[in-house]
Amino acid sequence: MSTTLITPVLTKGIGELNLREIAVYREQGGYEQLRRAVVELSPKDVADICNGSNLRGRGGAGFPTGRKWSFLPKDAKTRYMVCNCDEAEPGTFKDHMLLEETPHQIIEGILIGAYAIGCDHAYIYIRGEFKRGYEIMRDAVQQARDAGFLGENIFGSGKKLEFTIHRGAGAYICGEETGLLNSLEGKRGEPRLKPPFPAIKGLYGEPTVVNNVETLAYLPYIMRNGPEWFAKVGPERSPGYKVVSISGHVVKPGNYEVPLGTTIRQLIYDCAGGLRPGRTFMGVQPGGGSSACLFEEHLDVSYDFDSVTKAGSMLGSGAMVVFDDTTDFVKAAYTLIRFFSHESCGQCTPCREGGHWIQKTLERILAGGGVDSDVDVIKSAAHQLTGLNLCALGDSIEPFLASVITRYEDQFRAYIKRTPAPAVGAAS
Amino acid sequence: MSAAVPQTDPASHAELVTLSIDGVEVRVPKGTLLVEAAKTIHTDIPVYCYHEKLGPAGLCRICLVEIDGMPKLQIACNTVVADGMKVHTRNPRVDDGRRAILEFFLLNHPLDCPICDKGGECDLQDYAMAWGSGSSRMIDPKTSKPKAVDLGPTIVLDEERCIVCQRCVRFDQIITREESLRTEDRAVQTIIATATGKPYVSDFTGNVTELCPVGALTSKTYRFRSRPWDNHRTTTSCTQCSVGCRMHVDERGNTVLRTMSVPEDDALSDSWLCDRGRYNVGFVNDERRLTMPLLKQDGAWVQIDWADALDLWAEKIKAALAAGGPERIGAIGGGRLLNEEALLAAHLHRALGVENLDHRIGTQTLVHHGSFANHVDLENANTIITLGRPPSQLAPVLDLRIRKAVSRNGARLISAGDYAADSFVPETHVTTPAGLKDAIGANPGRVAMIWDGVFFEGGPELTAAMHDLPAATRVDRYVLPETPNGRGAEALGMIPRGAGLGTGAMFAAARDGKLDVLSILGANPVLRYPDRALAEDGLRATPFVVVTDLFLTETAEFANLVLPVCSAFEKSGTTTDLAGDVLPVVGSVRPPDGVLADGDLLVELAERLGVTLPMPDELEAKVRELVKTPPADGAVPAYVRATAAAPGGALRVIADAAIFTGGGTLAFDTAIRELHARPHARINPATARALALADGDPVNVAGDNGTTLYDLVVRVDERVAEGAVALLDGVVRAPLNALGRAPAVRLEKVPVTA
Repeated sequence: MSTTLITPVLTKGIGELNLREIAVYREQGGYEQLRRAVVELSPKDVADICNGSNLRGRGGAGFPTGRKWSFLPKDAKTRYMVCNCDEAEPGTFKDHMLLEETPHQIIEGILIGAYAIGCDHAYIYIRGEFKRGYEIMRDAVQQARDAGFLGENIFGSGKKLEFTIHRGAGAYICGEETGLLNSLEGKRGEPRLKPPFPAIKGLYGEPTVVNNVETLAYLPYIMRNGPEWFAKVGPERSPGYKVVSISGHVVKPGNYEVPLGTTIRQLIYDCAGGLRPGRTFMGVQPGGGSSACLFEEHLDVSYDFDSVTKAGSMLGSGAMVVFDDTTDFVKAAYTLIRFFSHESCGQCTPCREGGHWIQKTLERILAGGGVDSDVDVIKSAAHQLTGLNLCALGDSIEPFLASVITRYEDQFRAYIKRTPAPAVGAAS
Repeated sequence: MSAAVPQTDPASHAELVTLSIDGVEVRVPKGTLLVEAAKTIHTDIPVYCYHEKLGPAGLCRICLVEIDGMPKLQIACNTVVADGMKVHTRNPRVDDGRRAILEFFLLNHPLDCPICDKGGECDLQDYAMAWGSGSSRMIDPKTSKPKAVDLGPTIVLDEERCIVCQRCVRFDQIITREESLRTEDRAVQTIIATATGKPYVSDFTGNVTELCPVGALTSKTYRFRSRPWDNHRTTTSCTQCSVGCRMHVDERGNTVLRTMSVPEDDALSDSWLCDRGRYNVGFVNDERRLTMPLLKQDGAWVQIDWADALDLWAEKIKAALAAGGPERIGAIGGGRLLNEEALLAAHLHRALGVENLDHRIGTQTLVHHGSFANHVDLENANTIITLGRPPSQLAPVLDLRIRKAVSRNGARLISAGDYAADSFVPETHVTTPAGLKDAIGANPGRVAMIWDGVFFEGGPELTAAMHDLPAATRVDRYVLPETPNGRGAEALGMIPRGAGLGTGAMFAAARDGKLDVLSILGANPVLRYPDRALAEDGLRATPFVVVTDLFLTETAEFANLVLPVCSAFEKSGTTTDLAGDVLPVVGSVRPPDGVLADGDLLVELAERLGVTLPMPDELEAKVRELVKTPPADGAVPAYVRATAAAPGGALRVIADAAIFTGGGTLAFDTAIRELHARPHARINPATARALALADGDPVNVAGDNGTTLYDLVVRVDERVAEGAVALLDGVVRAPLNALGRAPAVRLEKVPVTA
C-alpha cells in the first residue's frame, strides 16, 4: 500500500488530535481564516477566492460552488446558507466522520460561506441518525459561540452571524436540497418543483444556498493556502482534494483523502488495500448507490467528476463500493432498489410506482418465481422511469441495475431458471 | 410543498411571446404556462395534478412535451413560454413518455371502472384509452388498499384508486387554506389523509370530488347512485345564498342527483361550490313535500283543491279591502323567490294599495347600501373589513375571494365588532374605534367592506374610521342579503314605502288586531324573526294567514291556508346576486303533481282580484331596470342589534350564523342530516372559567323570558367577548329567537346522569 497518494487536508489530525476541542483546532490555525474573512475581506473577496479555486460541490452533483453562490439575486435582503449534513447515500460516510471528528472546521467553513454570500443566519441540517455527531456539533457550536466566533458582533466586527443546528428525522430524500429545505421548515420532506430554484426562492421563500459539509469544510484551507493551491491539484476542470469513502470487498475500508485525478485502481489497491486474498474484481460503484457499476476495463479511469461521468457513471458523493466474485448481483441490485423504492417520497409517479414495480419483480425472482420476460421488463421499466421525475431520486434507480443486468445477465437468468444461486466464483 | 398560485391577472400580461407548438405559431402573454398556451390552439396536453386554479405541482408527470434544445422531456405545466420556443406535444418520444407514465399509473390502479362513480368522466380512463396499453406488463398482484375510507361527514376515499395527484390537498391548502387534508406515509404507500383522528370537515369538501381526476374521492350523497351518461344536465344559478354560483344540476328520473361547479364561472363562483349549495338537494324529492293546498279547519289540516284555495285567498283580501282598506293587509317574503315572482308580489299588492310589504325576515337594512362592486373586485382589495356575522357562513364562496386576496396580494383582513371573520387567514379582530383606525393604518390601499347589513348599538362610533380614509381610497361595499334573492326582492319592491310597515311592525300591528290578511311567500319568520313570541302572537292574531312553502314549516303551522310551491329546481326565471347582477335560474326537474310556482299563484290571484300584472315578456326588462335602480327611500327597519352588557351576571347573546342552519330545505333534507349544525354556546375562556364550563360540555341556555334552550354544546373561543355568549340562529330544535329580542341568559351545565 502506498501512502503517498493520501493527502490529508480535512482529515489531517483525525485519530491523533482531539479536534472537537476548540483550543486544539485553534492551535492548528482554526478560525483564523474566518477572522480574516470577516475583519479584513469583503464578501466579494471571499467569493472570488472560492471562484478562483474551481471548487466543485462534494455532495453529489459536482456543481461549481462559486457559480452556485452567484445565482443569488444581488438585491435580496435576506439570504440563507444551509449546510447539508444529511449524508445518506448508500456507501458514503465521509461527512459522518468529519462531523464527529472535526466539527469546528465545518463551522468555520459554513460561516465563511455564509459571510461570502451575505447571509447572517446559517443552518446545518444533520441526518437524524447521527445522534453522536449532533451532540458533538452542538458542543462545538457552544464553544464557538463562547469564543465570540458566531452570534452578535463576531470578532468585534459589529457583524452578526447566527447559526442553527437542525436534526432530520431519517429520510434519504431530505438530502435532496429542496426536500431538505421543506424538512427544515417543518414540512413534509418532499422535493420542491423547480423552478424556482433555491437560489431564488429557498428556505422560508428567501434566496438560499445549500452546500455539502465537505465543500464548505475546504473553504478555510482554500483561504489559507490561496485558491491556486487547490486549483492546481488534479484535472483543471475538476481540481482539488476529495475524501473518498471506500467500502465493500476491500481489505481496508475507510475514508481516504486524495487528490482528484487519482485512478480508481490506485484508490482500491493502494489506498484500501485491494481485494481480499484470492478474490477477483467484479465491479465498483464509484459514486454511491445511485451510480452505475464500473468494471475491470474502467480501473484506470481518473477519479474526477468529468472522467467518471465519461466512463458512464458518476463521482457522486465520492463513495466507492467494491464488489468481488462473491457478489450476488441480483441481491445487490435488489437491496439498492428496495432502498430507493422505500425512500421515494411518493410525490411523483415514475419513481413511486416504477421503483416499487421493479422491487416486487426482483423479490419474486429471488424467491424463485421469475419468468423469462422479467429481465427485459425490469430493464425497460427502469429505463422508462428515468429522466421523467421531479427530483434525482427516481433517476437513481436505473444506473446500477442496468449496468449489472447488462454485464451479469446470467446471474439473473440463473435465478429465473431456478438453478442454484451462482454467486461464488460463478461469473465467467 | 409550497403554495403555487396561478397568475391570471391580465394586467401583467401586456407583453406577448411567440412560440411554436407542433409547428403552429402561437402568441401568448409573457409568463403563460405552456399547458395554457397549448389550449389557445386547442391542443390537448393531458394533466392530472395541474389545475388552472391550483397551479403547477409537477407530480403526475403526464404533461410531458419535447422542447427543441432541451435534452429531457419537459413538463408543460411548469414550463413558462419563451420567445422562439419550439414545442412538440405529439411525437414518438413524447408518446413514449406518456405511455410510460400511464403504465406506472395503471400498475396498481384497480380495474373497477364498471362500478366506479367516475367511469365515463374519468381522466385516467380517457388517457388510458389514448396512451395506455391493453394489458399490463406487471404480472404480480396489484397492491390492495382500503376501498372505502370515511374521511368525514361528506367524503369517502378509495385508496386504491387514488393516483396521489394531490389536487385535493392543494385545494385545501391554496384555495380554502384550511389545511385539513395532507399526504401520509411515503413511497408506494403514500395516501391522502387527514390529521390523525380528525374527520375532514370543511364547508367546501365537495370540490375535491370534482378536482379528483379519478374515482378516489366520492361524495356520500352521490356515491353509487348514477353514471354520467344516464344523467341529464341543466345549468342554473345556485339559490342557496346571495353569491349565485353558476351550477350544473344533474338529474335522472326527475330526481336531482347532484350539483356540480361550472369551471368557466370565474365571475361568481371562481369554479367552486360550497357544501350547502352542492349537497342540500335531497329536500326536492323528500316525501314530506306538500302537494295539495291545506286549509286549517277547527285546528286540523284539510286538503282542498287549488281553485277553492285561490278563491278563498282572493275573497279574504277583498273582504279586508272592503272592511278596513289596504292597511289591513300585508305580505312578507320574496327573498327566496325569483326576481319575477318578487316583482309580481310587489306589483299585485301595490295595485291594491298595500304598502305593508317586506322581504326581510331578520332585521336587515337595505342591501343597496352595498356598491356595485363585483365578486372579482373583492380579491383585488388590499384591506378587507368585515362587520357583523362572518361572510364564510353567509356567503361561503365569496369568502374564498377573501382568502385569495390574502394569499395572492397579501391583503389584510380586519373584523370589527362582535364577530371574527373566521376566514382561515390571519385576521385582526378589533372592537374599539381606535382599534379599527390602527388596524386600517395610513395606507389601506383598496378597501373592501363586507357587512351583514344589521345595525348594532355602537356601530356608527365603531366604524367612524371609515370616514377618515384617505380621500382617493377606493371602497367597495358589500352588504350580504339575509336571503338568497334579498337584493332582488328589495329592488323589485318588496320593501315598505311611505307609511307601509316592515316585518316587525306588521307582527306588532297584527298582534294589536290591525291586520286582516297576511301573506307569507316562501319565508319562515317563526324560526328567523328575532322575536319569536311577537311573530307567533302576530300570526295567531291575524284572522287569515296564507303561507306558501314546500313543507309544513314552523311558520306554516300558524297559517290558515298553506299553498305548496315549487323549489328553485322546478321553475325558471332570474335571481339577483349580492352585487346586483341578474342571473338565470333554469329548472331541471318537474315539480310534484299538484304543485305550482309562487309566480303562478300570484297570476291566478291577480286575476281573481282584477289586477293586471306585467306580461311575461315585459318582466325581464323590468327586472333588469329595477335591479339597477336603488330604492327611492330609506325604509330602514327599526331593529338595532343589542351590544350592551346584560344585567346581573347574565350573559348577553350574540347571534351566530352557520351555513347548515334553517328550517325548510335543510331541515327536510335527511341525506345530509350529519351536516346540520349542532347548536353551540360559544363563550370566552374567562366566562368559561367563571362558570366552570369546559369545551364540549353540554349546557342548557335559560333566557330571561322564561324560555330555555336545551342541550347545546359549549365551545370555548377567545374571540367571543367576555360576558357574552354566541348562539346559533335558525336551529329548529334550539331556536335562538325563542329567547326574545335582546335576551340576557344563564348557562346551566347539564348534569351527567349515571
